[in-house]
Amino acid sequence: MRDLAGFGLGLRPQHFPSILGDDPDVCEGVDWFEIISENFIGVGGPLLRNMRAVAEKFPIVMHGVSMSIGSVDPLDTAYLAGLKALADVVQPKLISDHLCWTGAHGHNMHDLLPLPLTEATVDHVAGRVRHVQDYLGRQILLENTSTYVTFADDEMTEWAFLSEICQRADCGILLDVNNIFVSAFNHGFSASDYLAGLPVNRVQQIHLAGHEHNGDHIIDTHDQPVPLDVLALYEAALDHVGPVPTMIERDGNIPPFADLVAELKGVRAAAERALS
Amino acid sequence: MTTSLSDLQKKFQNRLLHGDDAVDPLLGNGGPFMKVYDHAYRARLIEVMSQDFEGLHTLLGDAQFADVVTAYVNAHPPRQRSIRWLGKDLAAWLAKTPAWAEQPMIADMAAFEWMLGLSFDAPDETPLQASAMAKVPPEAWPMLTFTFHPSLNTALLSHDVAPFQRAAVSEDEEPDSAPAPFAEPITWAAWRDPNTMIVTHRALDIDEAAMLHAAAKGETFDAMCEVVADLSDTDDAAVRAASILRAWLDCGWVVGLDGEGISW
Repeated sequence: MRDLAGFGLGLRPQHFPSILGDDPDVCEGVDWFEIISENFIGVGGPLLRNMRAVAEKFPIVMHGVSMSIGSVDPLDTAYLAGLKALADVVQPKLISDHLCWTGAHGHNMHDLLPLPLTEATVDHVAGRVRHVQDYLGRQILLENTSTYVTFADDEMTEWAFLSEICQRADCGILLDVNNIFVSAFNHGFSASDYLAGLPVNRVQQIHLAGHEHNGDHIIDTHDQPVPLDVLALYEAALDHVGPVPTMIERDGNIPPFADLVAELKGVRAAAERALS
Repeated sequence: MTTSLSDLQKKFQNRLLHGDDAVDPLLGNGGPFMKVYDHAYRARLIEVMSQDFEGLHTLLGDAQFADVVTAYVNAHPPRQRSIRWLGKDLAAWLAKTPAWAEQPMIADMAAFEWMLGLSFDAPDETPLQASAMAKVPPEAWPMLTFTFHPSLNTALLSHDVAPFQRAAVSEDEEPDSAPAPFAEPITWAAWRDPNTMIVTHRALDIDEAAMLHAAAKGETFDAMCEVVADLSDTDDAAVRAASILRAWLDCGWVVGLDGEGISW
């Protein structure tokens, strides 16, 4: 599974002209791209055509936002079928989604909502992950999300929760370092403790992103460059997990492609520092 | 006593949907930052709707557009797996909701933009070449039925919203006046050019619109000719229908046809 290496970027429609243009050097330093799975399930047209053109040149990983693995609603079989069909086309190196729920009881809030950190939730989510992996015929990765509330019923730390689910379901971890930074600040836990508590062999991909600081809390916006303190936490993470494929995930306030390529070079330099 | 995951998710969700505070006792430390979820839910829906309805957003302005989206999602709490489909019922809701139904250009703009969006990312299929029609035996024509490209969509509009919408999404233009009403409602079609992938749209003549409506329902070419005969001045409805069909083929609208001994 770990035949992905190096540094990647989230593939955004604004950047297709640059990536697919005539300049062969424009993607220098970009080893792979991550697509948002939902953008390409059951659709056609120019975005799909361009994505497939990129997939012919670069390794692709698929990242989903709506599996709702923690919901009490049944898994959406139509969605899973679409995910599998897309994977058949794209042949992604990795498939991931978030450790969260996005809606329940027939509704969808289109947000990555927090789960109570309990044994019962571990059982619930691990069972669903196993089901998804059986259906897709491959391992998936779960990503830690930024959270803004905890629950009175919480029985364990977030890293113990993530680790236990991944161990029981035998799935991988997509570690979002910015999300650790955000949640650590919001809930007052130690990001170092988080990193130290992870099963390092399960971390198969890393996300880096930016956020918005609001004094008493931080909001994970993914619409800013990766801040220096997140980059420092990334170096600390690599110290634990070793070399792991890493990407910048920019979801808003999308800059020119060249800016992200330049930012990715800084990430590569940080990784080299951490691993030297 | 622990709360079931089902109950927790219901209460959390009701907070976002209805402002219900039943989830508050379940939050750790009183949940001082629960407001982040409250805000993110509304903000994300408004942002996505603004991307899908850029012309409508321009037409209404920020405050009124936000009001429309909020009222719409209150009436249609999101259930779709993909947020892509959030605006599916907006035009129909605007057309029947008293505050907006009195200004039908609002619903027209929403219908027009939703149509363009459907055409933009509809699944790909290979259009039939116009030359294929030459291979249809004359005796097979009356019973022919047609299948259309998924990117072909129609909307019945009572206002000329296209120029305003084009200006609203353009970086070089500014809309200069509100959409003007048509003398009679007109059917518009939007489709994606199979080669350039650019979404195009045009108004349909009355007979063409009726013929397309019949064809899309699976009626035969013979029935389509009858529709044309009822609505056009031509002496030869079959010639007029064949001419319309040829235009559809040239635009890549037709992806299949069925008839006796024919299935393409």
